[in-house]
Amino acid sequence: MQLLYRGNAAAFEVIYDRHADAAFSLAYRMCAQRALAEDVVQEAFLSLWRSGARYDRNRGSVRTWTLGIVHNRAIDALRRRTVRERGIVDGEGIEERIPARERTELEFARKDEAREIRDALEQLPEEQSRVIELAYFGGLTHVQIASMLDIPVGTIKGRMRLGLAKMRMTLGDPAEVLQ
Amino acid sequence: MNENELHHSPGCGEDAAPYVLGALTEEEHAAFLVHLRSCAICRDEVAALESVAAVLPAAVPQLSAPDELKHRVMATVRSEASLRDSTQPVPGRRASRARRPVWRGGLAGVGALAAVLIAVVLVVSGGSGGSTRVIRAQVTAPGAYVSVSLNGGHAQLELARMPQSPPNHVYEVWIKRAGAPQPTDALFTVSSTGSATVGVPGAISGVKQILVTAEPTGGSKVPTSTPVIVANLS
Repeated sequence: MQLLYRGNAAAFEVIYDRHADAAFSLAYRMCAQRALAEDVVQEAFLSLWRSGARYDRNRGSVRTWTLGIVHNRAIDALRRRTVRERGIVDGEGIEERIPARERTELEFARKDEAREIRDALEQLPEEQSRVIELAYFGGLTHVQIASMLDIPVGTIKGRMRLGLAKMRMTLGDPAEVLQ
Repeated sequence: MNENELHHSPGCGEDAAPYVLGALTEEEHAAFLVHLRSCAICRDEVAALESVAAVLPAAVPQLSAPDELKHRVMATVRSEASLRDSTQPVPGRRASRARRPVWRGGLAGVGALAAVLIAVVLVVSGGSGGSTRVIRAQVTAPGAYVSVSLNGGHAQLELARMPQSPPNHVYEVWIKRAGAPQPTDALFTVSSTGSATVGVPGAISGVKQILVTAEPTGGSKVPTSTPVIVANLS
């Protein structure tokens, strides 16, 4: 990261190579369109390149920081679109539509970690996992979710909090799940 | 850790979950950030919940980022790094970066382009000094659309359906007053859909044309190819 602060393109490329797949996966899950997902990832990484000095290691790993930028960019992109234009996907079959590269050991390890997190999410009551997915992956505000589900805003917030708290109990320290 | 350790209390902390999920409205988000500065309960709640939100991206099926995406990102990064380097005096650097101009015939390429394409002034809005004039630029790429917005002595290019710059090349913006085109700091690539918004650095007083050429990564000091975009301002 020190090299990135100094505008070192090679250092940036290392970070890109490490995190681009995860970034694209998140963006595609949120945007449901390949072109839009690519635009989101491109914007996010260029933003990261131009503002590398803002990274604070006390706030989490480079991966967390990077994916946080991607998440914010994707939310911006989604909120610029109307609800009608959106296509919220559940991720099923995506791997068949966009072939993944040959799996490496690291990718296998990450796959196990991903399964653990997915399991924690799936173990939640459906009413809790749904609001978390609509908010985090769908980019919807709690007000939009309340309107969509015809449920009071306070209930939506409560379900979000309960769901996240349960996932935290299931995962222990989530930061340790993802090395 | 159990749920009670999250210090939830009525009226306080209820925005922590939507905050970490990115589900607050813009106004609520701004207000909550202010609130966080003075509320230890909410800070604890956020700290506990954001560690969960941070791992949610791992729950999605993992895909491979397209190679062409990396090419686009790295082309821009290398251009900007090169530009940054070129503004810092490094012994021997200038000589190694010098490129032979191959824009044969000076502006003959522009003339040929102009003979084929017709510039159109699209909009002149308002009548005061704050008005925006929009000019449609001449573009060589079939189907591409480029306009130039002129406001307050500055110009901005809006590109749509523009083809990708060739491998190891970026687009570079030039301005032409009298004499040869002058390079600007504006080096760019377009998105996967061919769109881009590019501010032309500096004031445009006296500028007759804005040109765009494809240049080797890092840009050039003189054009090395014929323009792909020409906007006549005068």
